[in-house]
Amino acid sequence: MTDITLTVNGATCTGSPEARKTLVDFLRDDLDLTGTHVGCEHGVCGACTVILDGRPVRSCLMLAVQAAGSEVTTIEGLAPDGGLGTLQQAMWDSHSFQCGFCTPGFVMQATAFLRDHPDAGEQQIREALSGNICRCTGYQSIIDGVLLAAERNRER
Amino acid sequence: MAEIVAERYTGASIKRSEDPRILTGAGRYVDDIKLPGMLHAAFVRSPLAHGRVLSVDVSAAQALPGVVAALTGADLEAMTVPGPDPLMALLGAAGPTPEFSLLATDKVRFMGDPVAIVIAESRYLAEDGCELVEADYDDLPPVMDAAFALDPSSPPLFANLGDNIARPHSRHEFGDVSGTFASADRVIDFHIDVHRHQNVPMEGRGCVASWDAGQGVMTVHAATQSVHITRTGVATRLGIEGDKVRVLAGDIGGSFGLKIGASREELAVAAASRHLGRPVKWVEDRGENLIASGQAREESFDVRAAVSDDGDLLGLDVKTVIDTGAYPGMGMGAMVPDIMEAMLPGPYKLAALGFESTAAITNKATYVAYRGPWASETFVRERVLDLVAKDLGLDPVEIRLRNIAPRTDPPASMITGRPLVGVTTKESLEQVAELVDFPAFRRRQAEARAQGRYLGIGVATFIEAAPGPRPEGPEGSLGSESMRLQLTEDGIVALFTGQMPHGQSHQTTLAQIAADEFGVPFEQVRVVVGDSAVVPFGLTGGSRSATMTGGVALHGARDLKAKVLDFAAHLMEASAQDLLITDGNVWVRGDPASAVAVSEVARRAASGQFGDDVDATLEVEATYDGGEGGWSGGTHCAIVEVDAETGLVKVERYAAVEDCGALINPAVVEGQIRGGIAQGIGAVLLERSAYGEDGSFQSATFMDYLMPTTCDIPRIEIEHLETVPLDADVNFRGVGEGGMIVAPPTVVNAIEDALSPFGVRIYEQHLPPARILELIAAADPAVRWLQVLASAFDEDDVTPVAIVPSDALPGSDDAESGGPVQRHAGGVLRENAGLDGPDAVGLGGDDKGTE
Amino acid sequence: MKLPPFEYEAPTTVDEAIDLLAEHLDEASVLAGGQSLIPLLALRLARPEVLIDINGIAELSGVSAADGGVAIGAMTREYVAEESKVIADTVPLLAAALPLIGHEAIRSRGTIGGSLAHADAAAELPAVARALDAEFVVRGPSGMRVIPAAQWFEGYLTTARRPDELLVEVRFPTAGRGTGVSFQEVARRHGDFAIVGLAVSLVLSGGVISDARLAFAGVSDVPVRAAAAEDLLAGERPSAELFAEAARLATGDIDPPADLHGSSDYRKTVAATIVRRGLREAAGNALERQ
Repeated sequence: MTDITLTVNGATCTGSPEARKTLVDFLRDDLDLTGTHVGCEHGVCGACTVILDGRPVRSCLMLAVQAAGSEVTTIEGLAPDGGLGTLQQAMWDSHSFQCGFCTPGFVMQATAFLRDHPDAGEQQIREALSGNICRCTGYQSIIDGVLLAAERNRER
Repeated sequence: MAEIVAERYTGASIKRSEDPRILTGAGRYVDDIKLPGMLHAAFVRSPLAHGRVLSVDVSAAQALPGVVAALTGADLEAMTVPGPDPLMALLGAAGPTPEFSLLATDKVRFMGDPVAIVIAESRYLAEDGCELVEADYDDLPPVMDAAFALDPSSPPLFANLGDNIARPHSRHEFGDVSGTFASADRVIDFHIDVHRHQNVPMEGRGCVASWDAGQGVMTVHAATQSVHITRTGVATRLGIEGDKVRVLAGDIGGSFGLKIGASREELAVAAASRHLGRPVKWVEDRGENLIASGQAREESFDVRAAVSDDGDLLGLDVKTVIDTGAYPGMGMGAMVPDIMEAMLPGPYKLAALGFESTAAITNKATYVAYRGPWASETFVRERVLDLVAKDLGLDPVEIRLRNIAPRTDPPASMITGRPLVGVTTKESLEQVAELVDFPAFRRRQAEARAQGRYLGIGVATFIEAAPGPRPEGPEGSLGSESMRLQLTEDGIVALFTGQMPHGQSHQTTLAQIAADEFGVPFEQVRVVVGDSAVVPFGLTGGSRSATMTGGVALHGARDLKAKVLDFAAHLMEASAQDLLITDGNVWVRGDPASAVAVSEVARRAASGQFGDDVDATLEVEATYDGGEGGWSGGTHCAIVEVDAETGLVKVERYAAVEDCGALINPAVVEGQIRGGIAQGIGAVLLERSAYGEDGSFQSATFMDYLMPTTCDIPRIEIEHLETVPLDADVNFRGVGEGGMIVAPPTVVNAIEDALSPFGVRIYEQHLPPARILELIAAADPAVRWLQVLASAFDEDDVTPVAIVPSDALPGSDDAESGGPVQRHAGGVLRENAGLDGPDAVGLGGDDKGTE
Repeated sequence: MKLPPFEYEAPTTVDEAIDLLAEHLDEASVLAGGQSLIPLLALRLARPEVLIDINGIAELSGVSAADGGVAIGAMTREYVAEESKVIADTVPLLAAALPLIGHEAIRSRGTIGGSLAHADAAAELPAVARALDAEFVVRGPSGMRVIPAAQWFEGYLTTARRPDELLVEVRFPTAGRGTGVSFQEVARRHGDFAIVGLAVSLVLSGGVISDARLAFAGVSDVPVRAAAAEDLLAGERPSAELFAEAARLATGDIDPPADLHGSSDYRKTVAATIVRRGLREAAGNALERQ
């Protein structure tokens, strides 16, 4: 067991996870942040994506102890006071999702991507999201949500 | 006098009420559930496809700190009611019932067959414990294909059956089969294979089972398509009275047919919880989901088609063998042939059908329901139409228009019986032909071929019984869907339904219908799902809910409204006939000032102020028999490009013209269609549940079972046909499965069209790149050789042809000159090098290269 | 798919890491980016007694120009390398390959050294390193060694790194004037491992090819240089016939593995295609760099 301290969604969190515990399991089990989902545990589906020190990462491919001292943002931390951020609102308006299981990973990956590429076009967005798997939607509605968010960000 | 005009929700893409929680990580899936004292389960699984279990020693696992219990198959048999799958009978499955235990006791029958369960303080520790279980097996020869399974010499997987036949051979005939075939201009034979692939929801199977010894109640937090079917499964197997099992479901991460009832693992988890008196959680990991949750679609077809020289498809004689895997599950594998048979004629004028089927038991994971379980009938039929069209030199749209049954009154019937009421297939085909300019495509295709690029176009049509037409006769009904509707004392219109949405957006769509019918804002309706103590029986599946549940919501809301108005009449001292409800207010027609909020009416009803003389129970129990029902269906079209050197396929364009009746929520409908199409594209290009001859499962991670991504699925254009209304009120029809049913033949037809210069014919559904190159190489040696020659001189960015082994050299006797190949080679030689600048290299033709 | 138990060490200096490696040898695995190792742990295919996490060793990161080349610290994240102007300007083949590695989230954590020490023959960086004769700098108890790429890749997931050594740096030569590169990859989907891949670099001067480098990914258990093809190309002018002949030579004696994604014949066939496409693209790019 290693004591760790990290910042999650702006709050200082501590824990004593076993070294082998993945970051996603730590977030879900120890910090009760169940918004981040486990989809494959081998780094392919992207459902576990969080933002760590500014970068999108697959939290199933990190040990919790490796996140000590880092700043982590999960889907619960995106919008202030339980509201919806621009991307989330755009995805709602675009009917982006169905069962919702892949949603946190897409939202976090798209958040990181739009921040770095605010003027990205559809093809770029598709490539950026090609590491996230959705079984329900065929992706078009998700892409539309991201495009709408980008447009609204530009209008502001 | 001013009228209060209500907003209309039905038909609009109302934003989903599910989304605020989904988008903020506040959804509640099974793995999010934490109960005090909860333990975690993991399973020891067989590494062998077929074997006798000699011993299972769990002592070392039990000794591991943190492991609370380790149970074998024998332990579980002692704690549960043995017997066949209890749900097979419930769902009408026929056929031989193999005897087996929850966890393997005497035999293991597929790689991944659960053999022991380890329960520990964490999933990590449970998996550690599993590694310490010593299981000893005696290898048995695996039965890895249906042909061997049907051979009497194959070792029977189930002792009580004595053979590996899940469904005995049967044959049915419709119309004059022998006469049709005898008099046809031609009879063409095909063998068509559909490969094994699977549901793969993003959330696997799982549950938290919690036994309350004091109350004698088993609560199961489940991921399921029906809380009541799961309840029955658990109650039966655990020997608990049905009303002492409560099944709760929150958000569910997809299912596509997988999560129905209770799997062997879930039943073992429930038994373990009762044994330990503590909640136990099991959520399958991706490996388990791929290896053990179940698979679908492994079916082979011998097809004979009786056709006229003009392209009439007169008759089909089809023989199918289904590979149902090792355990019958709910008997889906044995049931599917009946649905295939019934649906095989589709919307066509087929005059004769012979259909034979057998289902075989093999050492593979269970055959489960997967979105449109009978879909292979559409694949076979739509492939046959294209293959026949090619033989006769007909266009694929032309042959379909020729054979589609016209809409008549009274309607024509499929030769297998069901009437094609309100079927708009012909219109959908015509509309696709307008939406996608075929002549323009053919021109573009020809130009592309001249440059060595292979584009293709494919169409396919389908109908699905969503829910299907009302059966004829006075007793005819489409079944019965129940709903309880209540105006709560807070003025909420609450709908209690057995539907169990797992992506279908029922909490939105049903609320739209009820809001419109009752007269309250959308936000004032609440759809209650996922608690077997509170909701009536229901199952989300079979593309029935739009009609059945939409219908019961509509009529139930109407009934509830009448009851509320009867009560309000007392309150407002008016006649019920003069009262309206709009926008959440009850008011007297013509007198807007009279408006009383629905919530106020509800409060007054709850107060009991009127005593026993007035019925103030603002609640109804509604049932609906589906009314006239109806078909959904349509035509899909795909344009693909095949890279003939790598075999990679890109779907460039995909269009769907569909008719699902009246749309409740267009965005929801389109999402369902696109999701199904994505699965169909995935099946053709990427997904295969692969077994080796030795029985090992080879697609056990997402690195081998490949899921389609954003770069594999194009924008999908959807047009909705104006439907033929059949019912005065309920014309919503289901749409959940259609995309997955018709997309595979659409894409395969397009690929075959792309490869027609090579003379390729396709008789299978799974076309990974290596297979595409094999098909090209196997097709026409002469064509192949000349294109090799051309490619050696090609300078374009995209070279035209597959390289073939070096023994196919110029000078071979196969060489032929003239015709399309020569034109093709000439086109290449005229092209520029494609390199700019001083060192550009010319190539025969124009040479740009000078400083 | 939970990770099995292991002892966890997180050294903060290279010396500490080496001491740990020397102590545990084959019982230890080094955790760099984790994008390859953690899945193996999750599948319980890797069972180290000790995991030595080198993410805390700051001195292992960084990209710097060093005489005639670029030195990349082993822990340099792939996304950092992708954004590096130094690499873009001086090692264009590496810059071409980096965006093909998995997906963005993988490159957030994956490292240059980690990928090359893992040495998956179907991955992009081993082919690049082999093509460019990169040098692998390892440090161990007995000091530093510099191992050329030709000797680095020994077999399936096996490198010349001894169990008590740590890969600390990888050095790539600076591309000269007239260099054109191409990284070709045939993969089932965007971001997947290559079924077959090819790193190509060639120099054009006065319209003549010199220093042609071709290294395959996915045709063997190590990245493979197509030496016969390289010899053929040297001194010749680019042409379709030349490239077709190079393709035949390059694939003549390879015997690629077969798996779910392709038979051996398929890989061989496609390998020839990507030689032609890669040479064409590299020759085209060479002109831009003049």
